Amino acid sequence: MLKQDLNLRSPIEKIMGIDNITDSKFGAVLSRAGVGKTRFLVQIALTQLLRDQKIVHVSLDDSIGKINLRYNEGYTNLVDSIGYVDPQKAVRLWDDISLNKVGISYNDVTFDTGKLKDYLKSFKKAELPMPAIMIIDGLNFDEDITEILENLQALNREFSTSIWFAMKTHRDEAMAKDGYPVQLESRKDLFDKALFLQPVDNKIQAVVLKDGNRTDQSFLLDPATMMLVE
Amino acid sequence: MIRDLKRVRNIGISAHIDSGKTTLSERILFYTARIHKINEVRGKDGVGAVMDSMELERERGITIASAATYCEWKKHNINLIDTPGHVDFTVEVERSLRVLDGVVLILCSVAGVQSQSITVDQQMKRYEVPCIAFVNKCDRSGANPAKVAKQLKTKLGHNSVLMQLPIGLEDKHEGVVDLVAMKAYYFEGDNGERVAIKDIPEDLLEAAKEAREELIDAASLFSEELTDAILEESDISEELIKKAVRTGVMDRQITPVFLGSAYKNKAIQPLLDAVLDYLPSPLDIHNEAIDLDNNEESVVLESNFDKPTVALAFKLEDGQYGQLTYIRVYQGCITKGDTLVNTRDGKKIKAGRLIRMHASQMEDVEEIPAGHIGAMFGVDCASGDTFVSPTINYSMLAMHVMEPVISLSIVPKDNKAQINMSKALNRFTKEDPTFKTYVDHETGETIIQGMGELHLEVYVERMKREYKAEVTTGAPRVAYRETITQKSLFNYTHKKQTGGAGQFGRVAGFMEPCEEDFEFVNKITGGRIPTQYIPACEKGFAACMEKGPKLEFPVTGVRVTIDDGAFHAVDSSEMAFQAAARGAFLEGYMKAKPVVKEPIMKVVIETPNEFQGSCMGLINQRRGIIQGSQEEGVMSVIESQVPLSEMFGFSTVLRSATQGKAQFTMEFSSYKQVPQSIAEEIIKQKQEEKKA
Repeated sequence: MLKQDLNLRSPIEKIMGIDNITDSKFGAVLSRAGVGKTRFLVQIALTQLLRDQKIVHVSLDDSIGKINLRYNEGYTNLVDSIGYVDPQKAVRLWDDISLNKVGISYNDVTFDTGKLKDYLKSFKKAELPMPAIMIIDGLNFDEDITEILENLQALNREFSTSIWFAMKTHRDEAMAKDGYPVQLESRKDLFDKALFLQPVDNKIQAVVLKDGNRTDQSFLLDPATMMLVE
Repeated sequence: MIRDLKRVRNIGISAHIDSGKTTLSERILFYTARIHKINEVRGKDGVGAVMDSMELERERGITIASAATYCEWKKHNINLIDTPGHVDFTVEVERSLRVLDGVVLILCSVAGVQSQSITVDQQMKRYEVPCIAFVNKCDRSGANPAKVAKQLKTKLGHNSVLMQLPIGLEDKHEGVVDLVAMKAYYFEGDNGERVAIKDIPEDLLEAAKEAREELIDAASLFSEELTDAILEESDISEELIKKAVRTGVMDRQITPVFLGSAYKNKAIQPLLDAVLDYLPSPLDIHNEAIDLDNNEESVVLESNFDKPTVALAFKLEDGQYGQLTYIRVYQGCITKGDTLVNTRDGKKIKAGRLIRMHASQMEDVEEIPAGHIGAMFGVDCASGDTFVSPTINYSMLAMHVMEPVISLSIVPKDNKAQINMSKALNRFTKEDPTFKTYVDHETGETIIQGMGELHLEVYVERMKREYKAEVTTGAPRVAYRETITQKSLFNYTHKKQTGGAGQFGRVAGFMEPCEEDFEFVNKITGGRIPTQYIPACEKGFAACMEKGPKLEFPVTGVRVTIDDGAFHAVDSSEMAFQAAARGAFLEGYMKAKPVVKEPIMKVVIETPNEFQGSCMGLINQRRGIIQGSQEEGVMSVIESQVPLSEMFGFSTVLRSATQGKAQFTMEFSSYKQVPQSIAEEIIKQKQEEKKA
């Protein structure tokens, strides 16, 4: 019951549609530093955890402790958004669903798609359900990462796991011709979902850049919680 | 024993397995002239280290029991506890930390901060034990003490600061530069017993000056005098730096890092100096007890010899002269012939022979004053008991003890072995609260329970060697539990009239899941069950908890409420109501959707980065849940939760998957429900066992 309520409150349900998340091959959440890419990606992951799906969160910036903290915060914000919830029930649910979350912390040097492949292979070998999505946070899209993206595409094909990226843009950069940030422009064909976050007044505006008929829709989010502003 | 407590140190040596704890202890005993020849842990002489007094310890090269010993260094008494490094023996580490005032944390200069170092560090935090670090094995290939000091910061959150710089590393390791005295120390003689103090080599001088600046910077936070000296750019004396670092260590705000190689006899003497300079004396430590006569209020214990005595028994050993009880005296003084009270059972004892230990040799003493560690003979008690003067009723705080998670059946070979086995089990259960034993009434087998495969293996070996009890063992078994998942009603009548006195009792109510192991609630009104039969009902229900009706595993987490019943004026009896309760339990239990729970272990794997993916795969294949993986330089640390039943033989699998380069530690985490498919396997296995 609580699971259902939380799913209904999820900003992702309204902005992208929960099924849409796992249908994608590559998805991206774009914004400049500090606006809330990672927090939004955590909300995306939470929608899957609440559906008893496995998720893998790979970070090139955060330690495991920080990743776990981000998920705890994201879950608490979601729970708080539906008013009163029996705290024991909320904790029990988190204890259950958080078991499906795997955090992996790398740095720029040690990030290696081969290791991720080894890991995903082991799911197949043990006949376990594959992670529904994999979040990759901290890849530098200002550099040439063609090889990494090609390898990740291959993982997506082989294991049918959607991959969502945090893509950092820059305040002083103009948008490209299509209205996409330059980091996405050159790779737009790889991504079938993309969402741009930008501060507007005291809120965060989430603009759907790529998502079929949802494209160009926009929503307002509370910057503190990343929940939809009613 | 000296009474000037400023000149006493009670210290432990803790670290990850194979970091060289016992080797270091051995060197300390050699340099303090307690022993006259060094024996290696796995030496060719076959003697083994003195601190590893058990034959088995010497053979395996691991420390099983904490051997306590004392030594003298520069007119100070150092009581030294060598603690086991393997996680299965963690209770030994916990017990030692409880009675120690300071710890030397040993780290390997190649492997750095390892998983067990993290466990030991958490235990040190729990008991607020100040520590200094010693980066050992600087002679090994790949040694990097600076990296290890950094890991102390990043992995354990210590404010680590280098007190020395190495003079050469790996096979060129010759000595250390002392950053306080700004001198170079070399260790000469066959066993490094002569310390040659020389000027710092030219090529190290700049680095030493820089490192000294960093040290003074870090230390200045704990001394205004030092800060003033820095600001005034006046001379900074050795004493000033030492005093500031000592203050920081006492508050657990700074961890001074020393370097060397115990195996190559390098830099052990400066480490002993550091123990005196930086680790606390008993006077510096705040100890508390609970006053059982005063609402369990906390009482501060003073290292005052004239106050009533308070002492804690922290370890038992069976020696050739009877039970040897290791104690730490916190207040007062134990003198031969003193009467003491064991606050656990109120029994009075008379302190007989008092000794202090030097590994397996003992030295008689007249008294054990506050602040000292010693041992008593001929006292019947359990580990963790508090002894006090008859005028007070204090108890030291209970130690954190975990429940056993693995069991093994043992069968003695003959009658003689049976008698010896009983003696051994009686001793081991008193010595180690995490080791338990019982007899399975159905099979008649003796079952031993413990914290891991190695834990039980060692006790079986000790039984054979120390007690000549030849036993055969069964396969290790996981300590499964049963529990219910929903509320259910029961209404059971026990009625028997087969000649003679009849039996009658009816018990009705409901059972439901709860957090506690077992709760019994009596809501009977109007005398439907007479009061004198209620305890019989509780007893009947409680008896059923021992062996669950589903798979005969112990049942936990059940609250039974009785709210109705009936009796017969002539035929009702305690026995009849016990039987009725048993019937009611069976009736309710199967309706309450019982499930099987299994112990889940926290497993931490440390592996070179290239094997990270495959190690995570191994966890996946074992029904494990990976909580996270963090890369630290060339190593990855994978934290996971894995059912214990899947972990048997894991060390072999891990070795072959990682070319022997990865290692893991495992400790109990929680009980979780077994998946249906596994539950079915367990049922099948149980049925086969029964048939056999």
